Amino acid sequence: MKNSIKVERAKKNITQAELAGLAKVSRQTINAMELGKYVPSTVLALRLASIFETEVSEIFVLEDKDWV
Amino acid sequence: MKLNYLFPHRFKRIGMILLIPFILIGIYVVQYDIEPEFFDLSVPSIFTEEIMGRKYVFSMIDNNILNEIIGVMLIISFLLVAFSKERQEDELIAKIRLESLVWATYVNYAVLLFSMIFIFGMSFLWVMIFNMFTILLFFIIRFNWQVRNLNKTIGDEE
Repeated sequence: MKNSIKVERAKKNITQAELAGLAKVSRQTINAMELGKYVPSTVLALRLASIFETEVSEIFVLEDKDWV
Repeated sequence: MKLNYLFPHRFKRIGMILLIPFILIGIYVVQYDIEPEFFDLSVPSIFTEEIMGRKYVFSMIDNNILNEIIGVMLIISFLLVAFSKERQEDELIAKIRLESLVWATYVNYAVLLFSMIFIFGMSFLWVMIFNMFTILLFFIIRFNWQVRNLNKTIGDEE
């Protein structure tokens, strides 16, 4: 699964630490998601969408390998 | 969703403070087979079978309680260190916690299987005694190692 957290973060001009604070998770979790090492829960995905004032499907996109 | 069966974060530190001395005392007591008279007490017992001796059911027996004290304190402090919340116990930490617990269970039983096949008699009894604590020990090592790696990979951005 691809995500555009880093891009959205740049648009809003906030750091990983600031986003972590808003989403109520650790900075490590934000970093792991941006690196594609961690897929967040639905709740966290919805929180991020809410913070970025967009839809979950705008931030997270399925890839072919997600269907295997 | 908030229910996670974990202790508050500060208990991790309390656990560490208890764990280290009790491990050292435990090793010392086991190594030199120490049973000070001070700890000889008459204690209630549900079931006791003396080696080549009598059986007691629901009675008072004489016992040196030092090893029981050490065992209880070791288990409590291991549990506190293993299952206290991290400073920020979020969903990624929860995932690492679960994976580490599965990993520790496998490693613990791998060690036990190996010992069961190749170690016998009194030596195997010692393996069983250590095995009471090793699952938590393996978990603590693996979990903290993973959390540390997580903190290390976090690069300086912006």
